[in-house]
Amino acid sequence: MKQVVVHPERCVGCMQCMLACATAHSKTLHLFTAVREDPLPKPRIHVGAGIHGEGFPNRCRHCDPAPCMLACLPGAISRIPETNTVVIDPDTCINCASCAMACPFGVIRYHGDAAAPPGKAVAVKCDNCTARQKKGMVPACVEVCKSGALTFEEPASALGRKTREVARSVSRDAGGEPIAPGFALLNAVKRSQIEMEKR
Amino acid sequence: MLKDAEKRTVTEDGRLMLEKAEKDRIETVWDRYAAQTPQCGYCEMGLSCRICNMGPCRIDPFGEGPRQGVCGADADIIVARNLGRMVAAGAAAHSDHGRDLVEVLAAVAEGKAPGYGIADPDKLKRVAAEYGIETEGKPPHAVAGALADAMMGDFGSRRKELSMVRRAPAKRRELWRKTGIMPRGIDRETSEMMHRTHMGVDNGWQSLLLHALRNALSDGWGGSMIATEVSDILFGTPKPSANTVNVGVLKADQVNIIVHGHNPVVSEMLLQACQSPDIIDLAKAKGAAGINLAGLCCTGNELLMRHGIPMAGNHLMTELVIATGAVDMMLVDYQCIMPSLGKTASCYHTLMISTSDKARFPGMTHREFHPENARDLARDLVKEAVENFGRRGRVYIPVEPVPSLGGFSVEAILGALGGTPDPLLDAVKDGRIRGAAGVVGCNNPKIKHDYGHITLTRQLIENDILVLDTGCAAIANAKAGFKVAEAAEYAGPGLKAVCSALGIPPVLHMGSCVDNVRILLLASALADSLGCDISDLPVAGSAPEWYSEKAVSIGAYFVASGVYTVLGPMPPITGSMNVVKLLTEGLNDVVGAGFAVEPDPEKAGILIRRHIESKRKQLGLDARSV
Ligand code: SF4
Ligand code: SF4
Ligand code: SF4
Ligand code: SF4
Repeated sequence: MKQVVVHPERCVGCMQCMLACATAHSKTLHLFTAVREDPLPKPRIHVGAGIHGEGFPNRCRHCDPAPCMLACLPGAISRIPETNTVVIDPDTCINCASCAMACPFGVIRYHGDAAAPPGKAVAVKCDNCTARQKKGMVPACVEVCKSGALTFEEPASALGRKTREVARSVSRDAGGEPIAPGFALLNAVKRSQIEMEKR
Repeated sequence: MLKDAEKRTVTEDGRLMLEKAEKDRIETVWDRYAAQTPQCGYCEMGLSCRICNMGPCRIDPFGEGPRQGVCGADADIIVARNLGRMVAAGAAAHSDHGRDLVEVLAAVAEGKAPGYGIADPDKLKRVAAEYGIETEGKPPHAVAGALADAMMGDFGSRRKELSMVRRAPAKRRELWRKTGIMPRGIDRETSEMMHRTHMGVDNGWQSLLLHALRNALSDGWGGSMIATEVSDILFGTPKPSANTVNVGVLKADQVNIIVHGHNPVVSEMLLQACQSPDIIDLAKAKGAAGINLAGLCCTGNELLMRHGIPMAGNHLMTELVIATGAVDMMLVDYQCIMPSLGKTASCYHTLMISTSDKARFPGMTHREFHPENARDLARDLVKEAVENFGRRGRVYIPVEPVPSLGGFSVEAILGALGGTPDPLLDAVKDGRIRGAAGVVGCNNPKIKHDYGHITLTRQLIENDILVLDTGCAAIANAKAGFKVAEAAEYAGPGLKAVCSALGIPPVLHMGSCVDNVRILLLASALADSLGCDISDLPVAGSAPEWYSEKAVSIGAYFVASGVYTVLGPMPPITGSMNVVKLLTEGLNDVVGAGFAVEPDPEKAGILIRRHIESKRKQLGLDARSV
């Protein structure tokens, strides 16, 4: 089945996925009104900066078996088999932070949420935009990512494409034309700036 | 296919041409817009800053990420700086256009502009007198030279106040002085805005916004006003004249030449060339029935206003007009010319010519116009267009043109009223006309093409509000058939009676975007005869489909002049609720008017009606509840 696949090498760090994710999990579903909601909707995907300042979109991997699910004593975390989504039930969550400690990727946060009981901070993480998928929509972060860093597809096809790309890039005489020369140049400049810091 | 076209435009020619474009595999502004959606939320909210090279920065409106730029600017400062720069760019565009006309005026005075002349010597005298120039017994050329000099002085001014602010009501000027937003020089205010928004200068979001008003006033009562007045002096003050609009103005059996952009300097020379008998003979020798010069956007409006030249369409129609395959040559000057046009034209036989020293476009041939060479170059180019007629492929002109009436300068309106604004005032006072509204501005693919303009205009005239329009809005309304005397049928009973008595339509075409100053002047005249300020009048402004920075400047000078203004598309300011509040509420206390944003034209109409009725009430006139 289709999954959100992350291609970090294409992330431009614009953080659009964060805005779209937060908006998709708001009450009003519109950016301009969502920012005035209480609780303020927050993203479930977080863009971090790599050592060269490059963007990296970090989101739940929906691991199987999922360490967070194994760590949750009250049983608030379960899996939706149809979409292979690990979800947290905000009503059962006791805000103990065990899941966050168990998660190797640090993608679980704690705060109030439109789906949680009012006034209650709960564990919040990516739900694969289950609500959107039910309506036949792709996850919000994927829809909004203009650089192709996030795709919604069969993991096998993404991996096959990746294999072909890698294979071509190691061919002798390939010339190594990057997918986006301007972006590669920017990254090269950033990298050399970081290198200069070390001198 | 049909469904998509209907989603994009309310116009029949637009819909049919969109279908043709799709068949021809022409990419349009709507396709590119769809490819851009969803658009960057930071930029839409005004929260991204590219002003300095410590950035780019963005503020996370959800409070997870950064709350300040690298320099420490918060959301309020970043939003205000970005908006200020939009005003500066818009004011610069109008004002640079005005400067080009002053240069032509100077060249005419020196006898170095063959083909150009002084078409309205009376207006030359009147405007020169306002500048304190002695006109008695002086030949027009000498007066023109002195006026050009004095106007140039307004651009790089060492004065405390621009010359033409004297046309504003005394109360308004006093208010500008008191609040410190009196415009001093045209270039100065734009330059100062760029200075203030440089990193580390003005970081008071309120003072930035106040300067944005002053910058906009330097456009409305400076650059744009000069552009309009000098165009009238050089090419004639518009008088009501009939014309036709929509894609149907193209002629299958004639050489079709389209002028697009904003500046009448080039198009006036083309018109002369298109009318010269030897070139018409040449066209006939090539098998054409004649030469048909038509306009797009505001260059078109300039010609329409003064010469009744037909109008092919507005901003979103520009690619579609080329897709008819009937355009033998399109000449562009500057502003609002999509860089896609060269590519569109490459699918047809259309010759694309750029004409301004400051505007180049991919896929166009650059043939630069200057006052000295304009007459000859225009003749050469029209001959080339005639030669190109024979290379035409199949042509698709799917509609019949709609008749319309244009040319309502302030002079023409006062003329129609018998020389004074009194009949209009009487009609307003006794409630036959509730008030007046300017419906102006561009198209934006975010709003169904022309839907905002037409829907709002219809509602206003139905409710006895006289509509004054300019720019792309004016073209939309003309296409909708609102600009013939019979359109009084669409108006409410009071407005209908007044229009029928005067033989005018309920929607008056006042010109191009720089001609929005004509609306300011009319409002000033009304305020003066009532002995009040512009902000006391039952008038409003609106830009239901705006896209350009010029529109931001226009909106700001309307508001700073005291006119309540409703915008359709939201400007990029929602990142700061402080800025939003100041513009929508706070400004009322400062300049007696403010902005509203309402993308739904039905609701915008209600806002405007409510405002107009409330002003009537304040003036002690009968008021309806809306
Ligand atoms: S939208 Fe895409 S490119 Fe932008 S930050 Fe998110 S993952 Fe990266
Ligand atoms: S915080 Fe909530 S989800 Fe996490 S382990 Fe505790 S109960 Fe489970
Ligand atoms: S939250 Fe972390 S541990 Fe749990 S499934 Fe997702 S990635 Fe795995
Ligand atoms: S799948 Fe949904 S929750 Fe997860 S990152 Fe995307 S938008 Fe956010």
